[in-house]
Amino acid sequence: MSSHKRLIALLAVLSLMAGACASPAASPSVAAPTTAASEPASEPASEAASEPASEPATEPASEPASEPASEPASEAPSAGGEVVTAEPGQELKMMLLPKFLGILPFDQANEGAMEAHEELENPGALEFVGPTPENSVQGQIEFVTNAPTQDYDVVMISNNAGDQIGSAAATAQEAGVKVVSWDSPIPSAEGEDLFIAQVDFDSIGVVMADMALDIMGDEGGEFAILSASPDAANQNAWIAALEEVLEDPKYDSLELVDTVYGNDKSEESYTQALALVDQHPDLKVIMSPTTVGIAAAAKAMQDEGLCEQVKVSGLGLPSEMVDYTLNGCAPQFALWSFVDLGYLTYYTSYLLGTGAIEGVEGEQFEAGRMGTFSVEKDPTRDAGLRVLMGPFKVYDETNVEEEAS
Amino acid sequence: MASEPAAPVASRDRGAAMGLLARLRSWEGLLLGLLVLIVLWNATSVSGYLDPRNQINLLTLSQEKIIVVLAMAFVIIGGEIDLSVASVMALAAVLIASLYEGGTPMELAVLIALGAGLLAGLNNAFWVAVVGLPSLAVTLAGLIGYRGLARLFIEDRSIGGFPGWFTAITRDAVLGPLSLSLLLFLVLLVVAAVLLHLTGFGRTVYVVGNSRDVARFSGVRVTRLKAALFVMSGFIAALGGVLIASRLGAVRGSTAEGFELDIITIVLFGGVSIFGGRGTMIGVILSIFVILNLRNGLALANLTGNTQLGVIGLLLILSVLVPNLIATARGRLERRAGDRGAGTGQGPDPRRADSISGTASG
Repeated sequence: MSSHKRLIALLAVLSLMAGACASPAASPSVAAPTTAASEPASEPASEAASEPASEPATEPASEPASEPASEPASEAPSAGGEVVTAEPGQELKMMLLPKFLGILPFDQANEGAMEAHEELENPGALEFVGPTPENSVQGQIEFVTNAPTQDYDVVMISNNAGDQIGSAAATAQEAGVKVVSWDSPIPSAEGEDLFIAQVDFDSIGVVMADMALDIMGDEGGEFAILSASPDAANQNAWIAALEEVLEDPKYDSLELVDTVYGNDKSEESYTQALALVDQHPDLKVIMSPTTVGIAAAAKAMQDEGLCEQVKVSGLGLPSEMVDYTLNGCAPQFALWSFVDLGYLTYYTSYLLGTGAIEGVEGEQFEAGRMGTFSVEKDPTRDAGLRVLMGPFKVYDETNVEEEAS
Repeated sequence: MASEPAAPVASRDRGAAMGLLARLRSWEGLLLGLLVLIVLWNATSVSGYLDPRNQINLLTLSQEKIIVVLAMAFVIIGGEIDLSVASVMALAAVLIASLYEGGTPMELAVLIALGAGLLAGLNNAFWVAVVGLPSLAVTLAGLIGYRGLARLFIEDRSIGGFPGWFTAITRDAVLGPLSLSLLLFLVLLVVAAVLLHLTGFGRTVYVVGNSRDVARFSGVRVTRLKAALFVMSGFIAALGGVLIASRLGAVRGSTAEGFELDIITIVLFGGVSIFGGRGTMIGVILSIFVILNLRNGLALANLTGNTQLGVIGLLLILSVLVPNLIATARGRLERRAGDRGAGTGQGPDPRRADSISGTASG
């Protein structure tokens, strides 16, 4: 009676097993060395020490104090290195993979990548794909794992999976896919060809200290930090950099009195900002190195009519900050351009994918409208190479509107 | 809804034997049809799908989940639920990583992690089977508690750099294209199918799942069985944790977060009743392959995460709706047509039918 069941169960199981075992071994094709130096640098117009500064210095007129540490690639050019330029029209299939879809900065990066895609007349596809925020880590790993199957030539990833992506990225590399990270690197650099760094992470301390000094004036005063979560690696590194910079006698008048966390949630950041004002009557500036925190703090000060007393600064998106900058609640804040980051990432990836550059230290190349860049060791990680975009762009009432539109 | 039209009592026994065939014609049949459709569609219109490497990737990417699915099927058929599996996976993975970092040999770390899974399962078992608390509450506490414990060990760090043999478990092919972990999955799959359908243990799971009281009156040691289910679930979840640590090569506190929902979804989609007592391993296995192939096809077709989620969500909703609609429609038809078709017995809906029937009385 139950023999039916047995038979069916066994048959099904066996057939599934047989099916799974039948497929022959997948042998990862070792990446064929790309024809590297075959690209003669067609234009020897090597502007050796040209400023890679993407932003035509639209610095606040008040004090140009906000650029010192962010003078990136210009010191890197190794002697005699020729500047590689791209040869348009070569076919590459490119994947732009953000941490997840649905927030403005990543859309802006895609905008920049598309601009470069069209400029370089790549007949291949540029796909902007990504996981949902809830499934970011597993989703990214899946996209990278599938990339060789889909015949991608380059994956450009803003890594949200930490080192967990390393193994998948390395496998993709073995299969001949170039892996370029941007915005957020693979910490161990396993499986990563290059990291396109938006700014020198260490320089953010200087930028924040300068903005605080700028806002408070020479007499200085008390300021506090409103960060994202206590676990956020980026923010923690930036705060540490700021604390280090504050040792400099130049900033003696600045006193960091507190660090609180709004967990990148608007409500929580709003409440924390108001609590800071309550606890520190002499507080002059709230410095928030996160786009969520800075907007919430500015709104809190505006709503409570505290803008005369306490100013807000930090890292913010112009489109979210424009009102607060114009009404004086957040007179200065900084950020890099995600459009430029996307553009530079695409440009570099195209050069790497076509074999024009190999992704080794000391190489120099021209990235379209953004100028000349070079590949260097990433000093912020134990291993890995980076291309440093830099510098920060500081926004104030003179330039925030044009960027916000 | 599940108003079994007065089926002739005499045919009930025969019905039990025919039940499986009838179910094959209905739910499992539907899944099989769906699988064939998806595979055909993928094979003809998604480039790269048939690539052997992709066929392996498709399984590898979800191997930890689908191994735990096998254990979860037992738990749910047994009338319980285990929400803590993903947290146990994380706990095991984190234990391996932090022990290894602290100088413990990897082999020992893996054993300790598996032991921790057993303990977590025992803990769940105690509160559910001995004390008698609802498993939903107990394992919800486990979901939070074990995850918290994992985060305590690792804080906000990422630990990696595991020895080569450990990452090779999930990466290097040992038999044909199969890695050791996929082989393990296939072996466990066979074991699970045999255990559930061909042994006394499996029959007991159905009996208990159908009705705890009936089971007790008929001399089944309910407590022991339920305890066994949770211990098994904890152990397999820890095994899943070992595999995910191996596959990713690095562990964080958020490892495997949210996996429990995917796992339970696959089990239910396989035709297992959330109320216990119903479902087959074949259905669950088909469900695994349907969902993995669908996801793979969507991913290769470059659909974004949101679209993938939408398509799979739609499929799941339909999977609940369609059988219920058919059951309702058939019930009406049968009522209208008198008792002419009573012999066909079981409605196609594997979930909502009455609690004690079919396999239970076997």
